[in-house]
Amino acid sequence: MIIEPMVFFIVAACFAFFVLFSLLRIGLGPTVGDRVVGLDTLNTLVVASMIVLGAAFDQVVFVDVAIIYALLSFVGTLYVARYLEGELQ
Amino acid sequence: MIVQSILHVVVLVLIVIGAALAVWFKDLLSSVLALAAASLLVALEFYLLQAPDVAIAEAGIGAALTTAIYIIAIRRTARKEEE
Repeated sequence: MIIEPMVFFIVAACFAFFVLFSLLRIGLGPTVGDRVVGLDTLNTLVVASMIVLGAAFDQVVFVDVAIIYALLSFVGTLYVARYLEGELQ
Repeated sequence: MIVQSILHVVVLVLIVIGAALAVWFKDLLSSVLALAAASLLVALEFYLLQAPDVAIAEAGIGAALTTAIYIIAIRRTARKEEE
């Protein structure tokens, strides 16, 4: 069964709509911890939409970008978490 | 394709929201988080424009390096912005 690329684009548009709520949490979050969790959710959503778009464009190279992104976005969250814990102070 | 154009517009609007949040916050740590979100969405936009190598560079610099350097700088200086 071959899925049309249009379906993947619609799924990616839905992901982009969900990103809006994550950005809302980054904007409204009372504490920095809420904002870190919002940023991590946004990371995961962007990686997922990159994989879906890689299927839509029908190119294997695009999935590698998503893998590298999933590895690197972890580092930023780790740094903020260590700062909040007080280890870096 | 109309769906692709809608996706472009949505991602660009989200980039503008993230950048506005990064300017608006007085707490500099929150500002760095909003900047990381904006650069993440810029990488997604490069990806949509079919430039995966530029997206990899943006991911490496924006997500990992910039956040780490800004947090080291905040650690050495003040966390709250002065009026």
